[in-house]
Amino acid sequence: MTSVSFSNKIIQFGFGTKVEKKNFLKDHSDKDVFMDLSCYDPAEFYNEYPNLKGCFAALFCDEEKKIEIHFKERNLEVLSKLNELGFKPFEVTIISCGFIFPRTIVQIINEAHYALEENVASKKDIDRAMKYGVNYPKGPFEWSMGRETYVKVLLDELYQKTNDKRYLASKLIK
Amino acid sequence: MNLQKIVVIGAGTMGSGIAQWFTQQMCFVELVDSSPEQLSKALASIHSSWDKLVEKEKLTSCQVNQMKKLLEVKSLDKVSRTSDLVIEAIIENLDIKKELFKNLDEFFAPHTIIASNTSSFPISMMAEAVSHERKSRFVGLHFFNPATIMKLVEVIKGKETDEKLCFDLYQWFDSKDKKPALCKDSPGFIVNRVARNFYGEPLRIVEDESEGKMKEVDRILREVGGFKMGPFELMDLIGIDVNYSVTCSVWNAYNEEPRFAPHALQKKMVEERRFGRKTKRGFYKYD
Repeated sequence: MTSVSFSNKIIQFGFGTKVEKKNFLKDHSDKDVFMDLSCYDPAEFYNEYPNLKGCFAALFCDEEKKIEIHFKERNLEVLSKLNELGFKPFEVTIISCGFIFPRTIVQIINEAHYALEENVASKKDIDRAMKYGVNYPKGPFEWSMGRETYVKVLLDELYQKTNDKRYLASKLIK
Repeated sequence: MNLQKIVVIGAGTMGSGIAQWFTQQMCFVELVDSSPEQLSKALASIHSSWDKLVEKEKLTSCQVNQMKKLLEVKSLDKVSRTSDLVIEAIIENLDIKKELFKNLDEFFAPHTIIASNTSSFPISMMAEAVSHERKSRFVGLHFFNPATIMKLVEVIKGKETDEKLCFDLYQWFDSKDKKPALCKDSPGFIVNRVARNFYGEPLRIVEDESEGKMKEVDRILREVGGFKMGPFELMDLIGIDVNYSVTCSVWNAYNEEPRFAPHALQKKMVEERRFGRKTKRGFYKYD
């Protein structure tokens, strides 16, 4: 995890366990914190830590660095800092575990892994099918490359939150 | 593999698109339908599409004249029995398809490959209708709409389909500017299975019928995710009834596996006949 401080604010980037994220908030209780919560439920963090003023999902963004961001109260200084750092923030009002894009994409990635697990097709053909059959910008395996940990952590978090078996991760996602 | 003589059965949107694409590969194509009116309509539409491509300078008039000679519409009893490939693209009704395949098996030469463009039924189940000798040459070829533009063809190997035949078809399509994907005969094949959560998960994120939330999800998946359309606007375009039916079909085929479960809102909308753009009421209103 890395962070950027300015005035009384800290923006914290990168992946961390839930405990690490919460410890960070505890350790900076005198600051307004804006944190990457791509794999977790913002509502849980907002309820426990009043110093968390906003959160965003950057772990699944590509080279264009487009990210979802949610504010308790819109903060122009934070938006400007994120722009300065090369991010393109898109504000959302929906508070959902895994935000909108990460939550949707991990489910697509998970199903692609189940299909692979059942030998329905090769990774290459699954990616090709989704790109050329329904115009996805990337194939599910291309999306998950290098992000397997985040996919697994978010699926586990969704399962823990909802107790819905639809979020059980394929055994190929480790 | 050299596919030169093709028969396409069913002159609806998919059938005529498939016939048009094969003709554009300079194959000799016979398009068949039980309705002469449907055949005339399909032929006129394909010709008009080619004429527009000439206007846009995508094709030359010489190429189009040649293609017009290569595409014929006729009744099934008039087609060439020695065709290389027959593709079925009729209504998604298993009994009707099986009856057709039984007749096709008896009608066509032993070397003819019989294929189905089904998106719903197992290839092996349909292959039950053909003789033991034909089963190895019975395959799924699932095109995507519009077939002349969408590059994917799912090549589906049934239980008894010859593996080499699938591989040869894969290579043939690959050489013709399609993007084939080889897959096992399992419910939804690749796309209709893996794409289910593009609709199912946003429905669970939004949970209710808030238009504002749907717009937000559509916007984020377009702008952040890079998808061409958001899930709600896409479901409205496809038809909520069609999408719900595919979801239920995959869900049932996987013994009600929770990952494929339809959302209560989809069912409610279908019951209220809010099918999307075609009824002017879907997730959004179209007045």
